[in-house]
Amino acid sequence: MGFILSLVTQERHLLTEEVDYIQAKGVEGEFGVLKGHAPFLTLLDVGEFLVRKEESLYSYFVAGGVVEVLQDRVTVLADTIERADEIDGRRAEEARQNAIEALKQPVSSQSRLQYEQVLKREGVRLGILARRRSMRHPGPIREE
Amino acid sequence: MPSLRSIRSRIRSVKNTRQITKAMEMVASAKMRKAQQRVLDTRPYAEKIYELMHRIASREKAWSSPFFETRPVQTIGVLLVSTDRGLCGAINANLFRSLVRFMKERPGVRFEFVTIGRKGRDFIRRSGFNLTGVIQGVKDRGTIEEILPATQLVIEEFSEKKNWQEAWIFYTQFESIMSQKPRHEKLLPIDPEVLTGSGNPPNGHSGEYLYEPDRRDILDVLIPRYFETVIFQRVLENFASEYSARMVAMKNATANAKEVIYGLTLTYNKLRQANITKEISEISSGAEAISQG
Repeated sequence: MGFILSLVTQERHLLTEEVDYIQAKGVEGEFGVLKGHAPFLTLLDVGEFLVRKEESLYSYFVAGGVVEVLQDRVTVLADTIERADEIDGRRAEEARQNAIEALKQPVSSQSRLQYEQVLKREGVRLGILARRRSMRHPGPIREE
Repeated sequence: MPSLRSIRSRIRSVKNTRQITKAMEMVASAKMRKAQQRVLDTRPYAEKIYELMHRIASREKAWSSPFFETRPVQTIGVLLVSTDRGLCGAINANLFRSLVRFMKERPGVRFEFVTIGRKGRDFIRRSGFNLTGVIQGVKDRGTIEEILPATQLVIEEFSEKKNWQEAWIFYTQFESIMSQKPRHEKLLPIDPEVLTGSGNPPNGHSGEYLYEPDRRDILDVLIPRYFETVIFQRVLENFASEYSARMVAMKNATANAKEVIYGLTLTYNKLRQANITKEISEISSGAEAISQG
């Protein structure tokens, strides 16, 4: 028996389903949630979001937003969510290269910050893809 | 008895009208489909964040924040979402009627308005109410950025200048193509009663949340998002309502035009036949008179 997980962004509703375990990256570090967790609110960092259901592991890319954990329910209100199979590896790689190039030039501290964020996001995206390919996350990725 | 020519020109003009209403119907139905999809896509987030904010409010009763604090009401700020154009049935009229009823139920309270949509602005001006702000140029395919001025205005009036003690939003909710309902919701202060009142009890969970980092930081992220998404979603609801109402109104107009054309064509033909009969009988009686003479 698990709990109900809802994944939504402002633009779409990805899923509402019963799952056994989730693991996410909050701004103060990674955390995992099982059924019966104490009520808990946290902000999401850029990172991989893992969902386990019946021994299968599903992977999502999540950036920014809020997670609300209740005893029998977890709601993720994210700014960006992508299923692992939706990640466009080539686009991520390009964006990362662009950011690396841009950082080689002298840039203002504000745009430096922006480029570093791009670097982080795309790094995480590529990491998810790489892990998926190396089968360290062998579960089938959810097709809706 | 109208002349043949005047009937003919009336038929032509009604046919033109039918063509226009038909075209408007098709445009509205295409836009409606898109708007409906967006409403359905954005509803879950808006609902969830609405619930979340109210759940926080119900758990943190002892906690003072301008957004959760109930103050004696002198002025209510109303965000009025209406359409830019007419010819969409009675949805604006119904909305304004519900607004007037709402105001009558609260005598002695001052109302200030911020409008999204031209019809609402015109209505507020015409009625001589206080118009604090007008948000223009919000498009159906727009993004959240377009309603940011509205969000900022509400937050400013409510929590910075403290002019408003309550903020409400009025809009038309999209239920289905045939049915759109005028609705109003209290945006501020965030009132835990809303959840318990709507048959949605805080399901037995009690106690406070663990916050990570602290709740100040989380609320700094949540509150602007709450406004943006809820207001934006209501605007999208309104667009979907507008297009479905227009589609239905234009469909009816097209059907009416068809009926009118049918009636006019019938009169036209009858008149034409009567004229022919009359002419024939004139000619034949003339001929008879000659042959007898």
